[in-house]
Amino acid sequence: MMIDRRLIKEIDGVLLGLILLQSLVGVFFIYSSAHFLPGHFHVRQLIWIGISLIVLALVLVVDYKFFVSLSVYLYGLVVAVLAVTLVFARLVAGTRSWITLGLMQLQPSELAKIAMILVFAWLFAEYKSAYLTTQHTLLALSIAAVPLLLIILQPDLGTAMIFLAIIGGAFILAGLKKKTIILFLLAALVVGIGGWNLGLKDYQKRRVTTLINPLHDPRGSGYQVTQSKIAIGSGGLAGKGFMKGSQSQLRFLPARHTDFIFSVIGEEAGFLGVLVVIVLYFSLLARMFLSVAKARDRAGVYIIFTASLLLAFQFLVNVLMIIGLFPVVGITLPFLSYGGSSLLTSYVACGLVMNVKMRRFANV
Amino acid sequence: MPEERIYEDLSLVRRRANTVFWIFAALAFLVVAYYWKVQILEHKKYAGLAEANRTRARVLAAPRGLIRDRNGEILADNKASFKVSLVRENVKDPDASFAAVSRLLGIDEPTLRGRVDLHKDLQLFEPIVIADGLSAVDVAPVESRRLEFPELVVESEPQRFYPEGVLAAHALGYLQERTPEEIRAQPDRKVRAGEMVGKTGVEREYEDILRGEDGSIIEVVDSLGRVRGERARQFPVQGRDVVLTIDRRLQGRIEEALEGREGVVVVLDPRSGEILALASSPTFDPNRFITRFTPTEWLQLMNDPQSPLENRAVRGLYAPGSIFKLVMSVGGLGFGYISEGTSVYCSGSIQIYGAVRHCWFEPGHGAMDLINAIKNSCNIYFYQLGRRMGIDMIALAAGRLGLGRKTGVDLGGEKDGLVPSSEWKMKALKTAWYPGETISVAIGQGQLQVTPLQIASMTAMIAGRGKGIRPHLLKGAGPAGAAGAGADGSASPAAPAPFKAATFESVIAGMWRSVNDGGTGQGARVADFDVCGKTGSTQTMSREAAERLTRAGREIKTHSWFTGFAPRTDPRIVVTVLVEFGGGGGATAAPVAGRIFELFKELEGT
Repeated sequence: MMIDRRLIKEIDGVLLGLILLQSLVGVFFIYSSAHFLPGHFHVRQLIWIGISLIVLALVLVVDYKFFVSLSVYLYGLVVAVLAVTLVFARLVAGTRSWITLGLMQLQPSELAKIAMILVFAWLFAEYKSAYLTTQHTLLALSIAAVPLLLIILQPDLGTAMIFLAIIGGAFILAGLKKKTIILFLLAALVVGIGGWNLGLKDYQKRRVTTLINPLHDPRGSGYQVTQSKIAIGSGGLAGKGFMKGSQSQLRFLPARHTDFIFSVIGEEAGFLGVLVVIVLYFSLLARMFLSVAKARDRAGVYIIFTASLLLAFQFLVNVLMIIGLFPVVGITLPFLSYGGSSLLTSYVACGLVMNVKMRRFANV
Repeated sequence: MPEERIYEDLSLVRRRANTVFWIFAALAFLVVAYYWKVQILEHKKYAGLAEANRTRARVLAAPRGLIRDRNGEILADNKASFKVSLVRENVKDPDASFAAVSRLLGIDEPTLRGRVDLHKDLQLFEPIVIADGLSAVDVAPVESRRLEFPELVVESEPQRFYPEGVLAAHALGYLQERTPEEIRAQPDRKVRAGEMVGKTGVEREYEDILRGEDGSIIEVVDSLGRVRGERARQFPVQGRDVVLTIDRRLQGRIEEALEGREGVVVVLDPRSGEILALASSPTFDPNRFITRFTPTEWLQLMNDPQSPLENRAVRGLYAPGSIFKLVMSVGGLGFGYISEGTSVYCSGSIQIYGAVRHCWFEPGHGAMDLINAIKNSCNIYFYQLGRRMGIDMIALAAGRLGLGRKTGVDLGGEKDGLVPSSEWKMKALKTAWYPGETISVAIGQGQLQVTPLQIASMTAMIAGRGKGIRPHLLKGAGPAGAAGAGADGSASPAAPAPFKAATFESVIAGMWRSVNDGGTGQGARVADFDVCGKTGSTQTMSREAAERLTRAGREIKTHSWFTGFAPRTDPRIVVTVLVEFGGGGGATAAPVAGRIFELFKELEGT
């Protein structure tokens, strides 16, 4: 399992550079939005970047095929940890999604995302039909359903949505017939209506209704979106300047250094800053997505595609959420938001893509 | 490993993956477009909202002008105090908030809710005062728990303070919070919720002078409402001071002289109409309810049957009793029904219009001319005069002396009083005047109603030999210390004297003898001061009821009057005293007036 010199040459340096650049932009704005809070969040984020880089390196050392072969065990572990979390974790902000490991707090649902990527790669590795059969659909659904249900029970709507995106992405890749799409839409409608009436907590419902009219409840769940929109809009073309945004510095913005970091960028760096970050994202994700051309096998294509989709989906949902085009579901902005678990997941996802890409020549 | 296992055909999945990427790319482009719309096209709107977010305008309440007495001594002052307001905009959970705030401030919850409900028309960001008149110690717990209570705002404000307590309370008046109705009624005027305005007395009358101009401060605040800086500040301008004609020393001594009896004392300068003292008893301490909250104390006073909040000097209606004989005398002489020498024999009783009427002095006064009739307050003399004049001429004389209409004093709520006439009776009661009623009016009973201030004002006219005055409290107004500037009060309407000076001289002679020659007013005598006066006592119930009670052996207490001036030539002071249920005027009111004349002389000497 020693890594070959030739393999090192195959590491996608551009992608790595984009990741690091994006992460450093994040550190700057974490500093801007949280320097007045105790806790040195920017330093902690730097440490997390270091840890994530080490983990990324470790991911690169091992052939992804090995990860895929282990995926079933990883899946079992994740389900077990999620179940334990649900029972034992402290209730933080109304959800049971955190567990404490020594000094670190981890969100097992982040690990579950990686497990899902690998499990689907494993499931579809030998699947060569042009379209998905019913048996395979049901098998994939039931595999995904267990961790998904556990996450919904926490409840963590945001992660559950990301799960659905991964599942959906895998299905698209495997090939969906029109009939199946219609069936899924109908099922989604039924689950949606049922979930709205039975499953959704009041605060979650409010977040959805707030999307339609944020001023309906300006002090409640609409408050965050309203303040975020004010921050972004008041940034204008060039922004108010680093550490000079009134919305962020005077704490009108909620969750400034985590979910709403992009609002801080919008306020302090303006539309130009927003454009730069989005272009960086686009380059990064383009480089990831388009790597499917470099995958040597089906499992590799699935890994690259679902991992890229994971980041792309989070990016889109986050930037739409903070400007009021999507309900506030607590999805972080990969690489930029403060938070170790989120950062680690994003790095591992990229690591998997790089892993596949560098091993594109079979049997080297 | 077989060849096709190494390079399997992945073109289909790759194509699908690429399609999804381009969908993502399109979405990313739309995101950029939307951010363009918000950040560039709608920038102005959001920039304004951000500015409004971080700034908060706060009112800096202007201190009211001080109220001083004629010698510059302070009667109404300001002191520093704190108030706590609630901003509904910052209330997250109303139920929890009300419960917590009520615990923190010790206000019971229904009161708090009622208070906030009262001002529900206000904008959500406008603070509603929920506690006031607090000391720095009182607000310390609120300040220290600011983070827990983002809905509470603590502000300092100048609060009215009356250093002398009850002194001149009725003249000064008191403050109350502007009601939501008043705010609604004047949407254009610069009125502010929660401001304290003069409700009665001088505080109300000169509200426009006393109220200052509120300042404002624009502060930079964070999301928790903590002040982080200041953008602009406009300092409040204190209201102008008001200098009253009241003499604090005289006023204080007079309130003592009343000794807690219910009644009124008015002291004024007959030359100018300046009111030197005005006491109405029972009284109240306005310091006790300078608050926005209807305190139990104020409600008790409101519902007190003695109505201590009422200024009896301008709102109390009494029969003038024998005081009215002055009107009869002036009218009788002035209209030529009698001359100074006209004599009437008093045998103690007389039969007029078929009814027997008694003099208060049962043995009878014997032959009486006008001066003696005034001195002895002989009823028989004035019955006869009344019969000669008839009600309408009596009413005319009373009107010329200022009865039956407001004196025009600078105090709100003054009453007109009532001078009956045949015309009035036809209008009000739809019946004709009975001549017999005239006889009651002739001695100041019947439907006659006067305020003590009207009597004082009338006395001033007699003292001035026909020169009328408008009683007033304002001596001057202006910036602190510059008293006297623009004093308007002394400019009384220069109405022609209603009767000749000689007419008044004769009546004054009677008044002088009443006090200085063993008449009914001798209790008011002051050595070397030539007090001239007239007593009165008025029945507080109908004659029949009174007789019934007397037969039953019950003592009937009448209201006791004295009005007079001094000295006889060039008078400088008018004193009118009314003691409710004080008995005979000579017995109760005259000695009180005597003490006041003495005090005045003493103070004048110093």
